Amino acid sequence: MENQTLLETIDPEIADRIVSRSDEISRGASVSSSLAAALAIGSVPIALAALAKDVGAQTNNDVVDVLQFALLLEYLEAEFYIRATDAAGLIPAEDRTIFQTIRFHETVHFQTLRTLISQKGATPITKPTFDFTAKGAVPNPFAAGNYAVFLQLSMAFEDTGVRAFKGQAGRLINDKPILTAALTIHSVEARHASVVRRLRGKKGWIVGNSREDLPAFTQPIYDGEQNTVHAGVDAAPLGTGNGGINAVTEAFDEPLTKDQVTAIVTPFLA
Amino acid sequence: MASDKTLVVSNPSQLGNARTRRDFLRIMGVGGVVVLLPSVLSSCNNDDDNDDIFGPGGQPGSGNTVTIDFAKGDIAVLQFAYALEQLEADFYTKVVAASGGSNLTAADNAVMGDLKNHEIIHREFLKIALGSNASFTLTPTYPGVNFSNRTSVLTTARTFEDLGVAAYNGAAQYITSTTNLLVAGKIVSVEGRHASAIRDLINPKSGDFAPNTFDDAFRPAKVAQAAQGFIVDKLALANAPTAFVQGPNNNG
Repeated sequence: MENQTLLETIDPEIADRIVSRSDEISRGASVSSSLAAALAIGSVPIALAALAKDVGAQTNNDVVDVLQFALLLEYLEAEFYIRATDAAGLIPAEDRTIFQTIRFHETVHFQTLRTLISQKGATPITKPTFDFTAKGAVPNPFAAGNYAVFLQLSMAFEDTGVRAFKGQAGRLINDKPILTAALTIHSVEARHASVVRRLRGKKGWIVGNSREDLPAFTQPIYDGEQNTVHAGVDAAPLGTGNGGINAVTEAFDEPLTKDQVTAIVTPFLA
Repeated sequence: MASDKTLVVSNPSQLGNARTRRDFLRIMGVGGVVVLLPSVLSSCNNDDDNDDIFGPGGQPGSGNTVTIDFAKGDIAVLQFAYALEQLEADFYTKVVAASGGSNLTAADNAVMGDLKNHEIIHREFLKIALGSNASFTLTPTYPGVNFSNRTSVLTTARTFEDLGVAAYNGAAQYITSTTNLLVAGKIVSVEGRHASAIRDLINPKSGDFAPNTFDDAFRPAKVAQAAQGFIVDKLALANAPTAFVQGPNNNG
């Protein structure tokens, strides 16, 4: 077999189940029980663990560090959406499918990351306790009537997630299975960010370094997004006739360093 | 009689039918055969058949060969991206040009305008970055696409954006420079944002914006095969790597 693959021998039935579960959620099926989603896909990480042993990827501290960092972010996002979709009187009925879908994705993402970390011979970090008021910077986003607050934080977390994964890609360049898996999460986070931004009446892409109408403390999530120089080429002149400098900045998402992301996330750690 | 790789078109109206168009694109993507029964050809007698069926550019794969040589390493990956961005930029340029006579909504057109700008900027950026390696210009064609029809435009856009995401995600493993990897990363997430927006326009407030828990990662040959259905030139890959690390969806 020509392929070197992490997941090639995954049971097709499991893959089908992921797809069909996702489809169910798309159609608006209820995921009222936190357990239901977890159980439905519970076999995935187990399958991964069983199947990826012979990939030959030796324990690599740098790769594990990236995975642990990603796990922290996915823990945060998953708990955020689990609590929100379980909260009474928060998310309007017509918007629930979007957030049930995201909740499902983030849950599978963190479970998958845990499995990948275990495969590297390391122990996944335990889920921290989160404070989604960011130490009182925002009201409780899960309280009835605080949907607007929830949406603001959702946009903030998704835009952060895209930049955080992107910033770590270079450290995975020598571990192709992990790099590829991480990239397929990265672009899903971008899809999440776009739909949430649009739900809030914003463009799906980041304009300059604008945080739009988010609170000032979120500005570090957007700092640097106005960069126009990539691989030494300044794209700024390309905006002429093509939407100007705003379009140039929209067309490229920018990375954040681990330290930058840690500073952004820290207020949400209890 | 019809196999998976044969599409029989017996009535010209079928060519404008979404189901048929999708079948057509799928079949062209796998090197299949489209059978046009005489009733269709006779109804096209007064037209240029190529215009009706393949658009003004001609039949996919009928033109000169453009070869991307993966022996060039990172350059080949960026050339591959350049080819896709040419296609996307041309598509949205045509969509915007046709917007006066199409049934796209104002909200659709706002997104189309942004996507046109983004893809042109991607294309021109890669052209500069590649320098003398950006010497090819592809001729796109849009078989069965009706630029005045919202559904046709948006579903084609969805195809391009999803393919772009899978292409970057799958080709990243062949990049050796962290600088180039970062450039690909900066672009792919914007393609993901696009795909989500298009899908949200097609089916608002559904789960369609992100249909999978993990996005696809396709090997270059698979992407080229799908893209070929929209390119008159013959897109060829030389020295394409045989090894490919699958993503979680295991479908690349």
